[in-house]
Amino acid sequence: MKENIVIIGGGIAGLEAAAQLLSLGYKPIIIEKSDHLGGHVAEWNCLFPDMTPARDIVSSLAARSADANIFLNTEISFVNKLKDSYNIMLSNGISIITKIILVTTGFSVFDAAKKEEYGYGVYDQVITNRDLEHWFNTGEDKRVNDCGMNAVGFVHCVGSRDEKARNPQCSKVCCITAVKQAIELKQKFPDAMVYCFYMDLRMFGKKYEDFYISAQRDYGVRFIRGRVSEVSENIDGRVIVKAEDTLSGKPVKVTLDLLVLMAGMVCSPDSTRVANMARLPVDSDGFLKSEDNVADIISSPKEGVFYAGACTGPKTVPETLAEARAAALKVHLYIKGLE
Amino acid sequence: MGKLYDELLKDYRVKEGLKTCINCGTCTAICPAAEFYRYDPRKVMDIVQSRDEEEIEKLLKSDFIWYCGECMSCVTRCPRKNGPGLVIMALRNLSARLGYFVCSEKGRQLYPLTRILTGNILNYGYCVYPDTFKWEDHKESGPVWKWHTEHIRDTMARVGANFKGEGPGVLRKIPQESLDELKRIFDVTGGTERIETVEKFSRAKAEEMGMDMDEYFRETFEHTSGSHLNNDD
Amino acid sequence: MIYQGKQKIWADYQKEIPDNHWFYVRSCIRQNFFPGSEKMFLEICRNVLKKDFFETEYHTTCGGIAYHCDTIPQETVMTIVARQFALMTEAGYENYVASCITSFGNYAEIIETWREFPEVETRIRELLWKACRREFKIPKNLAHASDLIYKYRNEIAARAKYRLVNRYTGEPLKVVEHIGCHYAKMFPSKGVGGAEYPYVLCGMIESWGGNVIDYPERRHCCGYGFRQYHVKANRGYSLSNTYKKFESMEPYHPDFILTNCPGCPYFMDRWQYVIAETEGKTYGGNGYGIPVLTYEELASLVLGYDPWDIGMQLHQVAVEPLLDKIGIAYDPKEKYKGLNEKDLMRPELPGVLRCC
Repeated sequence: MKENIVIIGGGIAGLEAAAQLLSLGYKPIIIEKSDHLGGHVAEWNCLFPDMTPARDIVSSLAARSADANIFLNTEISFVNKLKDSYNIMLSNGISIITKIILVTTGFSVFDAAKKEEYGYGVYDQVITNRDLEHWFNTGEDKRVNDCGMNAVGFVHCVGSRDEKARNPQCSKVCCITAVKQAIELKQKFPDAMVYCFYMDLRMFGKKYEDFYISAQRDYGVRFIRGRVSEVSENIDGRVIVKAEDTLSGKPVKVTLDLLVLMAGMVCSPDSTRVANMARLPVDSDGFLKSEDNVADIISSPKEGVFYAGACTGPKTVPETLAEARAAALKVHLYIKGLE
Repeated sequence: MGKLYDELLKDYRVKEGLKTCINCGTCTAICPAAEFYRYDPRKVMDIVQSRDEEEIEKLLKSDFIWYCGECMSCVTRCPRKNGPGLVIMALRNLSARLGYFVCSEKGRQLYPLTRILTGNILNYGYCVYPDTFKWEDHKESGPVWKWHTEHIRDTMARVGANFKGEGPGVLRKIPQESLDELKRIFDVTGGTERIETVEKFSRAKAEEMGMDMDEYFRETFEHTSGSHLNNDD
Repeated sequence: MIYQGKQKIWADYQKEIPDNHWFYVRSCIRQNFFPGSEKMFLEICRNVLKKDFFETEYHTTCGGIAYHCDTIPQETVMTIVARQFALMTEAGYENYVASCITSFGNYAEIIETWREFPEVETRIRELLWKACRREFKIPKNLAHASDLIYKYRNEIAARAKYRLVNRYTGEPLKVVEHIGCHYAKMFPSKGVGGAEYPYVLCGMIESWGGNVIDYPERRHCCGYGFRQYHVKANRGYSLSNTYKKFESMEPYHPDFILTNCPGCPYFMDRWQYVIAETEGKTYGGNGYGIPVLTYEELASLVLGYDPWDIGMQLHQVAVEPLLDKIGIAYDPKEKYKGLNEKDLMRPELPGVLRCC
């Protein structure tokens, strides 16, 4: 089949879609700006709810999509709309004429330093969910290794549900990620006190509630319903966290060896760049705008341009994979229609 | 929808200060008053947001709304761009207007506050003025303030102030025509009316409590009962 | 603490502060408690740095304290402020600088409210005309007086006679800075450095040779709380908040505290006296307190002015240990004298807090 299919982004959405298209007999092209495949998931250690190694997911996806034309370290320089197709110029000088673009540019992790009151990048013992996964993977992080680990806190909703941070949306995965990471830390440091500061616990997915129950029952993680208001550093370099325990209506102050900020998902600047070049609309939440947010989230309003994964909003791994499969089918039917 | 909520909504501080509250407690967590008093700004926001007339009326008649120090620390942190401190100001304003402030001990303090502060503004053109800031009422101001005010013309002159003098400078005498303008501003903007309202309701309350106005002033200025603080039994 | 992290944030909050031609309005509290500071502000700006700062005797209180004590309606305070703006307009200025933080916050809030609700501005213009027959322009630039000293900090450093260095150890002095709540907590972009890590005082301290120390309750209010201080029955609120700050900064052994708000230095100075007398606890060395300075006092000291000319004798906490550390010359016999050596006797000595 001669039709070119350009997939922008080699994260799990791009890889899954490519694998499906390969099995349908197409030869998709994957454009990936970094030097590796798998996107954010490749940086993660284990995935909820079954603690599946993220590495296994990524390597299986990479194996299944290996026959695609994959350009690593490559960016889109510009996109020209031709009469009934697009001309995509790549940073490596290659240009591709295609009728089909699948945008799988994903999300960016919210820059936690923007929540100045939490002191990320200012106080030594404040890290993010991503930093912690990195430590799970490599064991390398002075901040975690040296802290003695008597008390650890997790702050939910960092850069999510926050109009001041210009991200009113819920990032969906942080609640369960915090519970997962809290359990993992408890497994490594059984004597440490672990606190989760949350506004609402959104345990919507398969077996999430079981995870939460286990965190409380088996690991003694303390859940405090209150958004953290301020973080400061004391003379020992430990961090002091202020929140209200809203269920008892009292301000609380906790001193911690390590504070983990659950940085949320924001639309990736790469998505916005591609959207600008291909003249795709952006939705009021900052993510790419679908044809219909209920009935047809994977179609863009532009002819031949489709979406899969977190470029249209925060999603879990299984949701992203399901969407990638649906997008592959959509592309297939679209090509059939062209013929 | 009842009328107290509508009255509040007319206040620009409510328009600016209460969009939608998510009850996250960010405001209470760093509130200097919440740590000291039995006070929770989040609950104030929740009650106003509920539009429950009965609850709002209770709030306006309670000590609760008078605990805030108006430091506005809550404004910096609210993730929904609310300003609980601004909403408190609107509640206090309405409580003063309707005379509900006399129903609570902390509310009744509006009487000495109004006497002192509006008196200073209209008489001297300053909010705080040495002639009315007496060491006897402010022993925490220390022996140095006692000494300073006992020798005030000399101590002020020593540091180059123009105390009660003509022309510009530190603590100069503010010209009568400027004081007259302040008075007219009070008259046309509701400032004078507010003073009269506070006076009227306080007078009635003093009578009910069996006190003359001087006794009522001392009582409301100095007395505190033992049920306001977090560590009270 | 990662210093570079703060620098990044500071870079995001640099407000425009014109170099010259300001209309100056005074602070009620400062004129009472720190009269020397306002005199020194104009002395430094006008006579040392040769800038144009205009003051009219016809300006008054902005009404901010009365407003935050809930004794005057919003329209009253807005119209008083509108009159101040009219005085500026009539004098031909467009840069407005306030000595007071409550005023600064008050002006910023009012301008913002007018911007968001133009019908309010129209109404206030009518009320001002009715009461005073005056008209006004909104200032093009609004600054707090500490913004200006921050702006001029390097010019002051170039003329400085003293550096903020402990002459016995050669180490930079350890300085705690305290920012008035209404400086940037309502409008972070209106303050140099923003609300979380304000740079306005840090910049002065660094420029003049000291080391800024951060401590957990740095951002906490001094405890003024308006009605929580002015009413005698409420003053425990004020005291307990100051106490909380001192307990938090105590392990760092600061040499002094620098403030930019009128009330804060008064409360942090006087409540130390109260804590000493009631609890027997002092926070400086050898029974002394920690001196709490205004930014003008500090600027004047580094420029070499006589401590008693700038009003350091009006502090309850003795400043002499700090003067000694820096090596500033002073005559102890002159401390409580009036003009022309007039004998004014001296304040009584507190029972616990050591004073000179």
